[in-house]
Parts: sequence; C-alpha cells; structure tokens
Amino acid sequence: MSKRKAKDAHLPIGECISQVHQILRKRFCHQQLPDKPEGVEAQHKHLAELLKRTAVHGESNSVLIVGPRGSGKTMLLRSILRELSQETEVQKNLLQVHLNGLLQTDDRIALKEITRQLQLENVVGDRVFGSFAENLTFLLDALKKGDRSSSRPVLFVLDEFDLFAYHKNQTLLYNLFDVAQSAQAPVAVVGLTCRLDVLELLEKRVKSRFSHRQIHLLNKLTFPQYLERVRDQLSLPDDFPDGKFAQEWNAAVTTLCEDRSAEEVLQRHFNSSTDFRSLHTLLILCLSRVSVARPSITPADLLDASRLCLADANANMLHGLSILELCLIIAMKHLNDVYEGEPFNLQMVHNEFKKFLQRKSNSMYNFEQPVIMKAFEHLQQLELIRPADGASAKTQREFQLMRLMLDHGQIMEALQKYPQCPTDVKQWAMSAFA
Amino acid sequence: THHHATPSIPNRAQPARRPGNILEEARARLHVSAVPESLPCREQEFQDIYSFVESKVLDGTGGCMYVSGVPGTGKTATVQEVMRCLQHAAEQDEIPPFVFIQINGMKMTDPHQAYAQILQKLTGQKATADHAAALLEKRFSHPAPRKETTVLLVDELDLLWTRKQNVMYNLFDWPTRRHARLVVLAIANTMDLPERILINRVASRLGLTRMSFQPYSFKQLQQIVTSRLNKLKAFEDDALQIVSRKVAALSGDARRCLDICRRATEICERSAARLVGMSHVMQALDEMFSSPYVAAIRSASTQEQLFLRAVIAEFRRLGLEEATFQQVRSKHQALCRVEGLQPVGVSEGLAACRRLGACRLLLLEPSCLGVLQRVRLNVSQDDVLFALKAD
Repeated sequence: MSKRKAKDAHLPIGECISQVHQILRKRFCHQQLPDKPEGVEAQHKHLAELLKRTAVHGESNSVLIVGPRGSGKTMLLRSILRELSQETEVQKNLLQVHLNGLLQTDDRIALKEITRQLQLENVVGDRVFGSFAENLTFLLDALKKGDRSSSRPVLFVLDEFDLFAYHKNQTLLYNLFDVAQSAQAPVAVVGLTCRLDVLELLEKRVKSRFSHRQIHLLNKLTFPQYLERVRDQLSLPDDFPDGKFAQEWNAAVTTLCEDRSAEEVLQRHFNSSTDFRSLHTLLILCLSRVSVARPSITPADLLDASRLCLADANANMLHGLSILELCLIIAMKHLNDVYEGEPFNLQMVHNEFKKFLQRKSNSMYNFEQPVIMKAFEHLQQLELIRPADGASAKTQREFQLMRLMLDHGQIMEALQKYPQCPTDVKQWAMSAFA
Repeated sequence: THHHATPSIPNRAQPARRPGNILEEARARLHVSAVPESLPCREQEFQDIYSFVESKVLDGTGGCMYVSGVPGTGKTATVQEVMRCLQHAAEQDEIPPFVFIQINGMKMTDPHQAYAQILQKLTGQKATADHAAALLEKRFSHPAPRKETTVLLVDELDLLWTRKQNVMYNLFDWPTRRHARLVVLAIANTMDLPERILINRVASRLGLTRMSFQPYSFKQLQQIVTSRLNKLKAFEDDALQIVSRKVAALSGDARRCLDICRRATEICERSAARLVGMSHVMQALDEMFSSPYVAAIRSASTQEQLFLRAVIAEFRRLGLEEATFQQVRSKHQALCRVEGLQPVGVSEGLAACRRLGACRLLLLEPSCLGVLQRVRLNVSQDDVLFALKAD
C-alpha cells in the first residue's frame, strides 16, 4: 500500500479511538521521549558536547544536572543518549553504566552493579564474584590500567545523586570523581538530582574532585507557552493512519485550547505547578473519558479532570465519617479554638461533646463511653488525629494526648457538603463557644 | 576462574581523536589529569620531602612524615613527583634501590584492608587482613639480608582511623623498628589531625616531621595555568588573572582554577572567538560559583512563590524562623485573596510546600505530619525577597 493511500484510508471510528488512546497514553504514562526537547537548547548543547568529547576525544568529565522534580532531567539525558547512539563513532566506543540511588542503596550493591554492567572479567553470567574489598580493588585496577587514547570511555549515570552522598565515607563518589580527574580510563560521571544544595552534601575532598559543572533545568514557561505545550501534547502526529480523523481531532484540540473555561482551568493548573508530570496527570484523566460515543475532549471533561486533580483528600475523608465521628471532630475543633492548639485527650473531647448534649438535651446522640472510644480510635486509624508525643504505650488510651490534623476551613467546608447533616450539629459547629 | 581474572577495560575500535585546534589543545593540557613533569610553585616543598626521603634511604633507617593541606594544593602530586625523581636517581645508582608503594584510605572498604593492600603491593601475595598484618609484622621486625628500604605513601590518612587506632599505630610503629627500613609519608587535609584524633602513643610515633601545604595564592595559580599552557596562545592575560584571583580568594584550589579555564575554552569555542577573553571567563565563573536559589525561586510557579511570601510574612509575625504549615496556610489564603486568585485547598497547598521542600528551598519535617509539619527556610529571607521583587 503506498504512503498516500495509507493516509487517505478511513478506519472505523472505534479503531481510531483505540489508536488515539495508544499514542497519547504512551506520551503521558510511559514518558515517551519527544522528538526534540523544548526550551532547554543551551543545556542540551552543553551536555551533548560534553558527552561527545568523552566518547570521541577520551576526555574525562563530571557534571551534575540539577532541577526540580518533573523538570525533564532524565528526558534531557535520554534524548542526548539517543542522539549520540546514532553516531557510529560514539556508539561503538561508549560504555554505559546506569545507577540509581534508590536501588543501589550502598556502595557494595553499587559496585556489584557497576562490575556487572561493565562485564569485567570477574563476572560470570550475571553473578559478580569476590568480596566488597576485592570488587573495589578490581574495578579501580581495571580503570587505572586504561588510558585516554586506547580504552573505551565509560559513562556513569547516577540517578538520584543526592542519595549516593549518604553512603559511608562517600567512597564510590570519591573514586569515580578521582578517576575522572586522573590519567586513567576516560569516564564521564553524570549525576541527576532535584536538590539545589547538593554540593553542600559532598565531603570537601570529594567536592574538590568534582568539576563543579552544574546544569540547571528550570521551568521558565509563560502561560501562552504552557497552552502551546498542552496543544502539542494532545495533538496527533502526522503519520496517524486515518488522516481525516487526525485533522478533526487536532482541530478539536485547538478549539479546546482557545475555549474560555478550559483556559481558566489550565491557568489554575499553571499557577499551581508548571512541571510536565502534573500536566500529564491532568491530560490522562481527560483522555480516559474519550470513547466512541464522545470522540473528542470537551472543556467539561477538562473541568471534571481538574476537579479530580485538585480534590482535597482529607475533606473527602470527612464526608465518609459517621455523625458521632463528625461530632468528635467538631468537639476537637472547639478545644483547639479555646486552648489555642494545645493537645487534647479523649476525656476532654468527651466532656466537650457532653456539654453539647446537655444543652441540646437530645437523646439521639447518647452514646456509651466504649462506643465513643471506638470512634476515637477509628479517627486515629484514619490519621485525622495523631499522638502528640510519639506512640507512648505507657499512658492509658483515654489519657493519651492527641492533635487534630485538619485545618478549620476544611472542617467547615466538609460540614456544608456532608450528606444530611443534622441541623443542631451544624449549628454547634458554627457557634464560636459551645 | 575469577582468581586469574585480569582487571581491564575493553579497548576502543579506533584510537581517540587528537586535539584538532588550539582551543582543543589548550583544553587537553588544562585537564586536571595532565599533571606536568615538575610542579610549579611547589619547589620548596619538593626539596624538603626529597631530602627527607633521600637521607632515610641513604642511611638505611626509617621515619615518618606528616603532610597536610586543603584539597587541591598539590600534596599527592608533589610526593609522587619526589618519588619519580628518587626512582630515577636509584636507576642511575646515585642512591641505593628502594621500593615505593602507595595506598589511599578512600580506596579501601575498611581500614584493616590497608594491611592486605600493602602486602599485595610488596609481595604480590593475597591474604586476609589479619593474616596480612601478621606477615607484615614479621617482615618489618626481623632482620633480613639485602633488605631494601620501603617507602610507603598513605593518602587520606584520616580514613584509617579505627576506635583502637591499631592500623595507624602499626603504620607509625613499624618505621621505629631497627630492621624495618620503612619510610612512611602520610597525607591528610587537617593540620592538627595528630592532636585532634590520635591517641598519644600514635601521635608520638608519628613524630614532629610535619609539612603543611598552603593554599595557592593568585600569582601561583596564574603561574600554574601559564606553565600548563606552555606558550600556547589561547588565553588573554587579563582573563587568566581574573580566574586566578577569584579562585585564590575563594579556596586556592588548583583543580577549580583548571576546571574553570577548561570551561571557558568551551564557551569560547561556541562563540567563535579565537582567544579566550574576559567575557568567556566571566560566564564560566558565573556558571560554577553562582547559587541557583534565586533562579529557582524565579522559575517557581505562582502558588509556590505565594507560599514563600506567606512563609516570610508568618516569620515576621511570629518573630521566629520556624512556623507550622497551618500557620503559613492562613497567610497563604490571605495572599491568594489579595492577588485575586482562587483559594487553594489543603492538599494543593501541601503539594506546593513539598515541591519546595524537595528542591531544598524549604526545610520540612517528615510529610506524615501533614498540616502540623514545621517549615523553615533554607535560603536567607533577603534572597527570597530579592528574587520575588525583581520581576
């Protein structure tokens, strides 16, 4: 089938929708690499040149990529590695070792992983032989034997770099940086971290050996650029099988981005965070509403998705409490108001609740002490209240001091939305002094 | 099979490219690993160490020397240069032959591994740490005919510290034995290490032969870079001067100076200028020394910036440098109202707070405390206000 023909072919609508789901989900959930990273040209150039020099000239380097979470650090590195892998001179020579601070929690594991990934000679299959000390000496000897012009350069990628700084003596970092600063096998050490103060974590001899190159990735988007990004992320590529459907979809996306209410929703999200990941969570929620019956994203979908994203977890939890539990929460709120945030125990809460009962003299809420205790414990299990000074097993449960983990605004808001909330409870909550 | 494994990195298909132009050549020479044959500005220290070791080798006695100095002042490089020269002299039969071995405290997993490494470098024998200690003890305390002097360089000495200090004790005790003929050169960063962490009998055996390496002055740094470039015309003189003045003012670390110069050549290459000038160097200095906090605050989202404002407002009200999230939140809501933004939910506010905590603009307690967690600033209030005001 010729390309032109493929483009004009009409697929059934169900087929199209499942294709859309597949393409967009890959983008949002699987962190698919974009063709060209946007807005980071300078950083891209700096890092790409650096890695290329290591691969081609055998120059040793070390660099840290620093940026908040979701600012595209891994994306930048991966897209550069993808580019480099297309150049034969680089691809044939560069050895890669990928480490992650969350997986390699100490130097022993990290060393085994390095040895395994480099396939040094003490590796049989996937098992590394020898003790920790032997592994370290073996690796260092191997790197020492190499030289700039003849041995293959090694790229070390340390994800979650700040966690490596907590290893004992920072031995691994010292050795990697030391190799990068001495005439041994050429290495490039690339660290990725979200901590801006990462250099202060390093010991001073480790810090001295680090080259102090830092690449900062910060989201410097304006709102129009953000809108543009939303449109790009939702648009279908040119090589979509059904050309006509793709055109309609893209047109619908453009109108969505120009819609007044959709813009408001996006502005709200832009105000709260500008990173890629939170945008993707919003868009995936929109996408999941697309079906054969509703083959495009409407502003209403966006609004619903945004409501889901911004929902307050604790307030939602309050809606599911029983009346008794809610009454206890209100009693705690009053205690907090009167005693200015001092911790309270079950007895105090119960007394406060009893005062309410006496005034209203409504036998409906006359619960036994054990029932109240059970409700109190339930609140603790939900972590709406927590012990003030750790979990001390010595004190009796009735007298253990607790703190309320809710904001007063949250309680009042939840009361308004609570299904069939009795009027007297509502009034009690409103009254400043019970 | 792994007993016979040879440590090596695979070879590349074709040799690495040679530097093509002046800037690339300069960059290769400025790399920290390209240590010159003789170190400039360390002649006096070289002389002192040389005569110390030479006299011990000639007399056939032993001794210790302690070398200290902040990182990047050329301690290890100088000692290695001394040993190179002495080995050359020994080859010319000017002094008796000797064995030189070096260990590094950072390159071993445990202080006791030092024994195993020394033994392996001396005899090629592999042994456990305990066994190696016993063998070394025997070797150094018994006379043997035709014994050569051993020079042992111990780098990063402070890492060999153990609670009983027996590793350090042995290292400094062996040279005092009559038949040992061992010279120990110990290197560490702090000048008062023997007084601070060593118990008396170890400090006393280390002796009083000390040498401290001063941080490089700006003239010396300038000379180091010039000698590395070796008449290669790649830098303007003023550019070199500013780098060395800046580094000398901050740390006197030669590694920093070389790294900055190397980065400046990269920047210069991109701008298509022929010589590395003032502007390139200033940009490199800026990249390496500037703090990222202000830029990070400026690129934070609106709500995050508002949160920071709220934190400062709450600090002012309390007169403290710490507030709970709940307290900050009330200010945050008020600020939202002033700015005409929609009010923020607790979860959303906490998320903003946590994002700021993750990149360490704020210092937070564990997040399981929820709204009760205390918030502190990791940057000065002035920095935050400056960053927020400028736009």
